[in-house]
Amino acid sequence: MVKTLQTPPTDIPRAPASVRRNRSLLIIGAALLVALFVLALVTMNLPTWSRVLSGLQRNAMPLLRGLVRPETSVFELAWNSMVTTFFMAILGTILGAVLAFPMSFLAAGNLLGGTRWALPGKAVLVAVRTFPEIVLAVIFVAAAGPGPTAGIMAMGIHSIGYLGKVFSDVIEGIDQGPMEAIRAAGGNQLHTFLFAVVPQVLPEFASNVLYRFEINLRSAAVLGMVGAGGIGLPLIQRLQFRRWAEVSMFIIVIVVFIIVVDAISSNIRRRLV
Amino acid sequence: MSSQDSARPQAARRLKSWGTLAVFAVLILFAFRATKFNLPALFTGAADFFRFFGRMAPDFTALPQIWSPLLQTIQIAYVATVVGSLIAIPLIFLASANTAIDPISMWVARTLLTVLRSIPDLLWAALFVAVLGLGALPGVVALTLFSIGVLAKLGSETVESIDPGPLEALRAVGAGRNRTIVFAVVPQVAATMVSFILYVFEINVRASVVIGFVGAGGIGVLLQRYLNFFDYTGLGALIVVIFLVVLLIDGFSVWARSRLI
Repeated sequence: MVKTLQTPPTDIPRAPASVRRNRSLLIIGAALLVALFVLALVTMNLPTWSRVLSGLQRNAMPLLRGLVRPETSVFELAWNSMVTTFFMAILGTILGAVLAFPMSFLAAGNLLGGTRWALPGKAVLVAVRTFPEIVLAVIFVAAAGPGPTAGIMAMGIHSIGYLGKVFSDVIEGIDQGPMEAIRAAGGNQLHTFLFAVVPQVLPEFASNVLYRFEINLRSAAVLGMVGAGGIGLPLIQRLQFRRWAEVSMFIIVIVVFIIVVDAISSNIRRRLV
Repeated sequence: MSSQDSARPQAARRLKSWGTLAVFAVLILFAFRATKFNLPALFTGAADFFRFFGRMAPDFTALPQIWSPLLQTIQIAYVATVVGSLIAIPLIFLASANTAIDPISMWVARTLLTVLRSIPDLLWAALFVAVLGLGALPGVVALTLFSIGVLAKLGSETVESIDPGPLEALRAVGAGRNRTIVFAVVPQVAATMVSFILYVFEINVRASVVIGFVGAGGIGVLLQRYLNFFDYTGLGALIVVIFLVVLLIDGFSVWARSRLI
């Protein structure tokens, strides 16, 4: 009995050809990815280990020491600039949502009567999404002067790309029933829009706006590095002078603030949809 | 009686929506004051803004300069995605309630991931440039940490929502934690995870374009140089190239993901 269990079973059929082909494709793919990885590492001219180690010794230890004992005297500055950052994110998100709202209807195929009519709108949204936000911030700093206004504008314009896309996705997924019902009852275009489209899309719109706000809060925290207002500027100054204890205070304020806002925001989002 | 019953919830609902609006209005008011947001500057600035774009007529003679930083950008994104995924995978299983070892290590893993995720990509880059010096290395480290945060969050949500049947079956026949994960969890989440990794690669390409602004290598270094030297035609060419590359990678990734799931 024991012996029969230990002898390897010989009657297991070979895997079907399609499975074997997939398996070999998978192995080839994985080998390709590993080869690419090694190639990238070799050609990237990374610094030598000794340079990395000396850099770590000089800077990482003071940073870690600072994280344990942050400089409390800069707390007020850090907190105040984080509050400004928070309000920048709010205004930037609202600006983006207000601008994205009309755009999204121009990119929704089902309202325009055909996918091809939505293509120009969709293309504009892709272009906006791809344009790096920090370049927008630099442009607005040049146009409107340094300060939160530039950051708010950059976030507002950049958010159109994301919000416009998700808004139009939501619109394309709505139930046609209420629209037909209102049209059947004699409602005109405006009526169908106000009473059949808007009520269906509003909760999802709000939820996506909140999600974008979470992203924008992170952006707002770094846009100051190019002079666009908020906590980024005082932080990068301290980083450049390697005042690690003060840097740690700033990082702690940013991390705690963002974690708390995220928690509140995702709680509201869960209740919305 | 019935009219009262329906009237009260309606009144409460109305009160709630007015309350929400009021809170919103106060927040916006405070926001205007705190940021000194300048609405008129928005319109005067808009003119400058469009004039700026007018000067950005791309000059493609700058192309030969662009290739090598562009390649570096993609390398940074690729290496960070690979290393980040390798580190994220064990963390995902530690941080998911149905595959965790014990509540304490789960809590530690979750807290670590929350902190990782709360730090913006550019801040990671600026931090590691200060620690490790200029170049591609701080960019790789920054984006690796950033990817771990994003991937582990998406991954552990997926792992927690799997069908518990196979898990219970393997536990019932006495399989250990590792075998349970390999034979009950991995087959259920593998396709979704690969799609998430592709998505993180997309995010990393976008991020690695800009981290050069703080000195962390890639095409952002060039982007910043053109901006500083007011070389707007070169900037135009650069932005067109970035646009095409991001579009290409996004397109590939969306196509691959649509075939996966």
